[in-house]
Parts: sequence; structure tokens; C-alpha cells
Amino acid sequence: MTAGRYALHLDFEACKACGYCLLVCPRKVYAPGTAFNKRGFRPFRVTAAEACIGCLRCFHVCPDFCLEVAMAGEGTNP
Amino acid sequence: MDRLAKRYLRSRKIPGTTCSGCGLGQVHKKVLLAIEQLGLGTKDIVWGTGIGCAGRQIFNTWKGDNFAGTHGRVYALATGLRLALPEERKIILTAGDGDAFGIGLLHLLHCARRNLDVTVVVADNFGCQSTGGQYGCTTPRGYVTDSSPYGVREPGWLENGLDILDMLRDAGATFLARHSSFEGQSAVDSCAQAIRHKGFSLVHFIYPCVTHFGAVSLQSGDKARIFRWFEGLFRPEAGNSGDPRFRSGVYHDAGSSRPEFASSLKEWTRTVRREAAGRD
Ligand code: SF4
Ligand code: SF4
Ligand code: SF4
Repeated sequence: MTAGRYALHLDFEACKACGYCLLVCPRKVYAPGTAFNKRGFRPFRVTAAEACIGCLRCFHVCPDFCLEVAMAGEGTNP
Repeated sequence: MDRLAKRYLRSRKIPGTTCSGCGLGQVHKKVLLAIEQLGLGTKDIVWGTGIGCAGRQIFNTWKGDNFAGTHGRVYALATGLRLALPEERKIILTAGDGDAFGIGLLHLLHCARRNLDVTVVVADNFGCQSTGGQYGCTTPRGYVTDSSPYGVREPGWLENGLDILDMLRDAGATFLARHSSFEGQSAVDSCAQAIRHKGFSLVHFIYPCVTHFGAVSLQSGDKARIFRWFEGLFRPEAGNSGDPRFRSGVYHDAGSSRPEFASSLKEWTRTVRREAAGRD
């Protein structure tokens, strides 16, 4: 999802809904989800991408390789 | 999948089978970020795994050459590989606390003694979690586990003035670091230093097992609470005063002060051959 300087991508099928991304994010960019994925988890959602400051805290704590934080439009990483 | 998984891991293994909230993937990611930071590709590294949760979840995820060692013996296998492979090929071994500091400790110490050029990443979840949550040699004293219903009574490797990293340093390890799996770039930097290091390097990561240690020892299914407890281990002022406390970062860096085993053995072999040829 792109709405500011950073593009955030959360892989719906890979997320295990641990919630660490929301826990560490200083801008509350994430929110718990309601829909189930194929593995039976309810993946978190990116709900405030425009507030992201690119600190990468969420990226470092996501244990399941399902989050990506990139510079909007460039595809490079902060 | 993120870019790291796409570039370095086998897609059929991702997402892996770790429990939701397990910190093992955080450790795995730090190592991959270090590899990316160093500009290394899948052909540059041979990856070995131990057993237990750390072994089972990371085994065969690496797209390049990889192998699984028998319990605690991955260090011995890597010694042979180190002698056979070109020096520029890196060897990374990921293992758990039981594998590295329990059953495999002697093999690990001999690797350190020889200053073998490998990088060992120990993913420590404070016990034997893949077998149901029994206590191990790093479980903090007093905590209830599946095999210590009244709390762990025996001293571990990480308390009362003992630190397993001191033992490894005394055995000859030339690079040692310690981090929590929740850390960011500082942990990546230590992994990168360890991989670049020519000699025996080890990074000790402490990570949460939410399913056993979290649920039974911390008596919580709340991942936020578990997260804070683990973070507190790295803050001297935090938490229960009986819990161990750690300093994160590089623990010991002896640079190139000791010869590396494989390269010095190869050099010695060349010398012997030259002398033998001279006698003919
Ligand atoms: S990069 Fe930082 S601000 Fe942006 S979503 Fe992640 S944790 Fe939140
Ligand atoms: S940290 Fe990763 S796995 Fe956990 S909820 Fe967030 S996106 Fe999902
Ligand atoms: S049992 Fe514990 S260490 Fe093993 S995958 Fe589950 S949370 Fe991780």
C-alpha cells in the first residue's frame, strides 16, 4: 500500500497474525485483520501507510518474511 | 514473501512452520540481512543446520548448498567442509541452544580452539522447545517448564557469573556477539561482522518461544507481554531482579590474532610438499 513516502507490502497469505508489527510501530500503521487466510490466520492490515516514517522496526520484527517497507515509487529500501 | 525470502530462500519453505509469534524467523532474517548487506549471493555460502526448532525450521530453506547435521555434530561436519572448500566460500551454521551449548558443546569448543573459519548463529529459546518445552542449560533458574513443575533448580550457562560466551572466548573463539531477536540494524551489523570475520565467529541470539516458554514459564499467551519480558533481559533496570541480564552487541573481537585452522593447515601442507619435493 502506498500513501506517503513509503510503500508497505504485507503478504496476506504469509502473515501469521503475531501482531509484532503493530506492537513496535511508533505510528500505529497496522491494525488487526478480520478475514482469514488459507492457513487459518487473520492477517494484520496496513491501515495508515501515509503515517509511516520508514523506521523499519516492523520489518525487523516480522518473523515470517511477509512485510516489506520500500521507498514509494522507487522500489528501493530505506 | 519479502525481498530476502525471494532472493535467498526456497519458496516452498516460506512461510515456514514456526508457531505464530515465534522469534526464530527474526533471527533468520537478521542473518539474511547481513548476507544482503555484504553483497553475498546463494553461491557464496554453504548453510548447515542443527536439530530442534532452529534446525527443523531453517533446514533446507537456503537456496544454495546446505546440509543438516546430526544433533550437535554440525560443527564437526563443518570442519571437514572448511578444509575441502575454497577459502572465500563462507560457512554459516544455525543451531539451537541445546545443540550448541548442550549436546554439541564439545564440538563447538573444539571449533573455537582451532579458530575454524565458520559463523555459528545460536538461536536460543531457553530450553528444549521442539520436544514439548523441557528445561535446558540456558533456561533461567526458577522458571516452571514441562520438566520442572516446581521451577528449574540447576544453574544454567547464563547466570551467577557464568557466561557461555566467556567459555568460548577462553577456548579461542575470535569473534563473539549477543543480541535479542527483536533488535534491528545493530544485530544485523554483528552478523555481518561475524560472517566477514576470518576465524571462528558466533552470534548468540535470544528469542522467544511463545508456545512453551511463553505459555508455561511466563504463563502468558499475550505476545506483547512476552515481547516486553524478552526486551527487559537486555535492560539492566527492567523486570524481575532474579532474571538474567545481558548486554547486546559485540562481546569479544580478537581480530586476526590467532591463525585460522584451515588456511594454516593448507599452508603447512604446501610447505611439507615443497620440502618433500626438494628431497627427491
Ligand atoms: S517502518 Fe516504522 S513507521 Fe513505518 S510501518 Fe514500519 S514500524 Fe511503522
Ligand atoms: S509481524 Fe509479520 S507475521 Fe506478525 S502480524 Fe505483522 S505482518 Fe503478520
Ligand atoms: S515451539 Fe517454540 S521455538 Fe518452536 S516453533 Fe513454536 S514458538 Fe518457536
